[in-house]
Amino acid sequence: MSSTTNGGRPLLSAVGLSKYFSLETGLLASLRGKAATVKAVESVTLDVYAGQTVAVVGESGSGKSTLGRLLLRLLEPSAGQVLYQGADIFGMNRARLRAFRRQAQIILQDPYASLNPRMRVGRIIREPLDIYGEGSKAERQKRVHELLERVGLNRNHERAFPSELSGGQRQRVGIAAALALSPRIIIADEPTSSLDVSVQAQTLNLLSDLQRDLGLTYVFITHDLSVVQHISDRVAVMYLGKIVEEAPTETLFAEPKHPYTQVLFSAIPLPDPSRRMNWDLPKGEPPSPLNPPSGCHFHPRCPQAMSACSHTVPRFQTVGRDHGVACLLYEEGVN
Amino acid sequence: MSLLSVRDLSTEFQSGGRWLEAVSDVAFDLQRGEILGLVGESGCGKSTIAYSVMRLLARNARIRSGEVWLEDVNLATLDEEELQDLRGRQISMIFQDPTTALDSLFTVGHQVIETLQEHLNLDPAGARQRALELLRQLGIPAAEQRLKAYPYQFSGGMSQRIALAIAIACHPQVLIADEPTTALDVTIQAQILQLIRRLLVDEQGTGVLLITHDLGVVAQVCDRVAVMYAGKIVEFGDVHSIFSKPLHPYTQALLSSLPSKGIARGRLENIQGRVPGLADRPSGCRFHPRCPQAKAVCRERVPPLKQVSASQEVACVLYD
Ligand SMILES: Nc1ncnc2c1ncn2[C@@H]1O[C@H](COP(=O)(O)OP(=O)(O)OP(=O)(O)O)[C@@H](O)[C@H]1O
Ligand SMILES: Nc1ncnc2c1ncn2[C@@H]1O[C@H](COP(=O)(O)OP(=O)(O)O)[C@@H](O)[C@H]1O
Ligand code: SF4
Ligand code: SF4
Ligand SMILES: [Mg+2]
Ligand SMILES: [Mg+2]
Repeated sequence: MSSTTNGGRPLLSAVGLSKYFSLETGLLASLRGKAATVKAVESVTLDVYAGQTVAVVGESGSGKSTLGRLLLRLLEPSAGQVLYQGADIFGMNRARLRAFRRQAQIILQDPYASLNPRMRVGRIIREPLDIYGEGSKAERQKRVHELLERVGLNRNHERAFPSELSGGQRQRVGIAAALALSPRIIIADEPTSSLDVSVQAQTLNLLSDLQRDLGLTYVFITHDLSVVQHISDRVAVMYLGKIVEEAPTETLFAEPKHPYTQVLFSAIPLPDPSRRMNWDLPKGEPPSPLNPPSGCHFHPRCPQAMSACSHTVPRFQTVGRDHGVACLLYEEGVN
Repeated sequence: MSLLSVRDLSTEFQSGGRWLEAVSDVAFDLQRGEILGLVGESGCGKSTIAYSVMRLLARNARIRSGEVWLEDVNLATLDEEELQDLRGRQISMIFQDPTTALDSLFTVGHQVIETLQEHLNLDPAGARQRALELLRQLGIPAAEQRLKAYPYQFSGGMSQRIALAIAIACHPQVLIADEPTTALDVTIQAQILQLIRRLLVDEQGTGVLLITHDLGVVAQVCDRVAVMYAGKIVEFGDVHSIFSKPLHPYTQALLSSLPSKGIARGRLENIQGRVPGLADRPSGCRFHPRCPQAKAVCRERVPPLKQVSASQEVACVLYD
């Protein structure tokens, strides 16, 4: 699969997409004495081309899941657009939105929490077909059997409840349900994060096979960079709601430009005892998105911060072929 | 003498009127100033070993046989009062979810200071002083204010540091850490692992039993590794040997299922199936239904853990 933008129009894009949550009620507001705003996603622009896998990586709270939900209009944005084949999904009427939702599905992280515990596996997989009134009852049943087989389960699993399955099997059920309506694009939010490495490997293989056989497009949300390298064509790195770097996977791994991306790479524990990390770690923790640092959000932790970084917001700009970064080190005339 | 020596430990759970073994004849030694990694897929019995050593097992669990020597004391024979006296003072534990170690009703300072007063016989002012020192050592900024905060005001990483502060407050000789960084982001994980490695192990000579399913974590911080499968240790050895020359088919399979550099976009090797439940443990070598190299004899023979080189032990008929 090529990692270039191959000229054509993206299948799905985010344009200046933002989502602010206001926390007017509850403990936090009462502690602070006023309504607080979390900028969960801030001015995100991202293109996803058909047949590709774009990974979105970042630490917890960086806005990955919120972005994923915006891309499917499971949330309304505070600003910006999501274009599906050029049409803004937030401007779609009900009929067109319904058509869009058939083509865009989501798989969630926790196969324990995301499946209805009172429904049998067969019903869970059939439900999208029922909702969309696909085919006759017999045809739907046949489709359920096809899907079970497609994801490596068998007919015995059809009558099981989720609690009777292993984590990996539950994730397969989630994948089968997402595939039921033959979508073109799947947003996978940490689909392997709660699985053992062996089961994770089985699931990643299944997702690659499905992509090859069905021509699927993936937005793969994860905090695990080793998975990213394995599965994606392009990677977008998020920090506190913003994309700080975006590049083809190989480029990003070979030449990470943003100091945060570099820090993330240096903190991955490589499974190789002869290459131990130098423990040259960033200080502190990701700051609260309620009260993000001024200028570049990363400046309090950045090993390369300059004086300008605390008051100048870096612009996202191109630094190489298909490679973008938001950091003052790469802006003319700032440093 | 080893610091901690576990001998032929078997632990079982009562389920549906039957006692089912979760840990079978496990033996290992932990030395001063080392990190021993305990790895294996979910359900292999890693946590059960930790709780057996600490004698903090669930109500439906019991140690069927075995000894747990902390220097010259066999923990398996102590009564609850004697154990309470040792826990926290000589042997401590931290968990995957650090909030379990903290009481949400009290300030963090109250909890740390109380532990210190209790175990070190310090007066309140002395305990407070020591608490501040500990928090600073563990990289907690603004320690004074932090002592006044409640657990819910802390991030996961900060809570784990506090749990670690409480666990190591009295300089225990042994720390058992059950997936201490699994719930944390990579940058915070690296900070906590660095604290355990440098401060506890290298500087203070603590012996750490580190339970994890993350082979990257093992490779980065452990000195030796025990690989568990279905309640048994199947391979044991020096971390360099295990990663460069894994001998047991299960260890080999675990390592080759990692999506790491160099195999970008290929198919990942993987082990079919999953760890059997306690009621369905296979005969012979418990790995045989999933083992790509299984032979007929593997169904009958239980391979014992055998020393095959200076630095490695393995339980597999291929090395008989
Ligand atoms: N209280 C209990 N009652 C019955 N069975 C239990 C109990 N606790 C654990 N088990 C069983 O004992 C086996 C070992 O469990 P244990 O929690 O030690 O595994 P683990 O290796 O720590 O797994 P994980 O990586 O998921 O933490 C599993 O089959 C588990 O289902
Ligand atoms: N419904 C919501 N109400 C208020 N804040 C939210 C809501 N959903 C997410 N957030 C906040 O938005 C930020 C980004 O969250 P999320 O998208 O879940 O991040 P990630 O998936 O990267 O961990 C976090 O600070 C989170 O607490
Ligand atoms: S803009 Fe400044 S603080 Fe931000 S990442 Fe670049 S160098 Fe670091
Ligand atoms: S004893 Fe047999 S089944 Fe077990 S690991 Fe060795 S070869 Fe495989
Ligand atoms: Mg998330
Ligand atoms: Mg466990």
